[in-house]
Amino acid sequence: MEEKKVSATVGSSEKKEGGTEHGSESLAQTAHASHLAHEAQMGSSGATTTAPSTGRAKTIEARDVNLFYGDFHAVENVSLTIKPNKVTALIGSSGCGKTTFLRSLNRMHELTPGARVEGSITLDGEDMYAGGVDPVRVRRLVGMVFQQPNPFPTMSIYDNVASGLNLNAGKIKKSQKDEVVERSLRGSNLWEEVKDRLDKPGLGLSGGQQQRLCIARAIAIEPEVLLMDEPCSALDPVATLAIEDLIGELKSRYTIVIVTHNMQQAARASDLTAFFNLEESGKPGRLVEVGETETIFTNPTEKATEDYVSGRFG
Amino acid sequence: MPETSARAEYVEELDRLEQSALDGLDLVNAALTRTLEAIEHQDIELAQLVVADDDRIDGRYLEVHQSLITLLATQSPVATDLRLIASLLHVLKNIERMGDQCVNICKVIPLSGNEPPADEEMVKRILTMGRQTRTLISQAKRSFLERDVEQARDLVRQDDVVDNLNRECFYLALAIGDDADRREWAMTMLLTARAIERIADNAVDIGEQVAFVVTGLFREFEDASHPA
Repeated sequence: MEEKKVSATVGSSEKKEGGTEHGSESLAQTAHASHLAHEAQMGSSGATTTAPSTGRAKTIEARDVNLFYGDFHAVENVSLTIKPNKVTALIGSSGCGKTTFLRSLNRMHELTPGARVEGSITLDGEDMYAGGVDPVRVRRLVGMVFQQPNPFPTMSIYDNVASGLNLNAGKIKKSQKDEVVERSLRGSNLWEEVKDRLDKPGLGLSGGQQQRLCIARAIAIEPEVLLMDEPCSALDPVATLAIEDLIGELKSRYTIVIVTHNMQQAARASDLTAFFNLEESGKPGRLVEVGETETIFTNPTEKATEDYVSGRFG
Repeated sequence: MPETSARAEYVEELDRLEQSALDGLDLVNAALTRTLEAIEHQDIELAQLVVADDDRIDGRYLEVHQSLITLLATQSPVATDLRLIASLLHVLKNIERMGDQCVNICKVIPLSGNEPPADEEMVKRILTMGRQTRTLISQAKRSFLERDVEQARDLVRQDDVVDNLNRECFYLALAIGDDADRREWAMTMLLTARAIERIADNAVDIGEQVAFVVTGLFREFEDASHPA
């Protein structure tokens, strides 16, 4: 398998600013350790509740982002600021590049062989793609929830939530792990439903519960940003509503980006909506319009947006 | 990719409902024309016909209103479609009120009986108000169908004519003298003038809805409580 290629043009213009290099250092190393220290303190002071630590969420700034799969230009010149403590919905028909763009926000795009990123993507001003930044670290700070709930099939509910912790923190005390698992499950509104069967397999849960388990797993490692790729498309309306409620609660702590094909979901659950489309088939996807969700659904600026949200596809 | 047929039906249905709602303004114009004729000739039978015929306007209101609610429930309209539906619900109410004002006038016409009018000048002004209001109603309909904000805004200017005539009627009524019958006649005619003036105001309200459909902003063209 060919190794990933990350373009050297990434963030080149940003480098001129004094803080960037310094910033990428912190993305590269410090956050990890300080988080664990933070965790330990939380544990020892007995703060095991879901008390939101507001103000931690970070801003993602995408500038002139172009995404490629080999020769195929998938996304063209997207510049978008993703605001902290807000839910940003990415909408647009299949193939318009919104999922590809989402995957570039935590360096998952480059996992596809031949995939390439050009432009700059920063997390609170720190270049995600700078040399020396470990993509694994980026993915720890920017978590992802997928379309199909994907709990680890052989693991218990408890171990599913604790899995990220095991990978990221090495050895930690059982009591501390218990606290993180409980806090995360409470945070994803699943605790009451599973607290008496934490040792049962995660796959034994319903679809909606599995998705909330995956969200618990994602937030257990205290990310700054949560990316969700059609998190409700495999769920029934009741489970969908539970996830949407959860998204509303989580935004007090995280920056959230959600890709959805369900326009009403974007209207209900997001604060900002970004509409992507293709000029014509074969051309790369581009960002047509971004704005307050209310504006996009009552009075969008672009005709293409209007036609799409109104269901006039032509 | 062609529009899916179900969605195309929805678009057609919305067009049809807009036309049907706005055609309600033609019903109002017909009612107003008869009302003016009944005033001019003190024709009580014609007045009664207007009262009976108002059921058609009310029926149109209920029918289109229900269909719009169905579209809201089943099609989740957004953006321009949503604004159009919201404004049509509003306009339907305007139309229904305009019809009711014609009925109000027609119910007081018998009061004036077969006596000749006490003041020809007042009748003349009321008939002029009525004709001007018919123009406003037609212009409101046209500006809506054509999504023409300038034409809608012009309704305010047209409405000023009606307002001024209404004021003149007031002073004519004051000057009618002490005779009890003549005063009663003048009072009735003042109510009539007032009702026509309200119909014209409703036409201006429809113009404001035109601006809302086009721009997404709702602003009263003129605010009676905060005159410019």
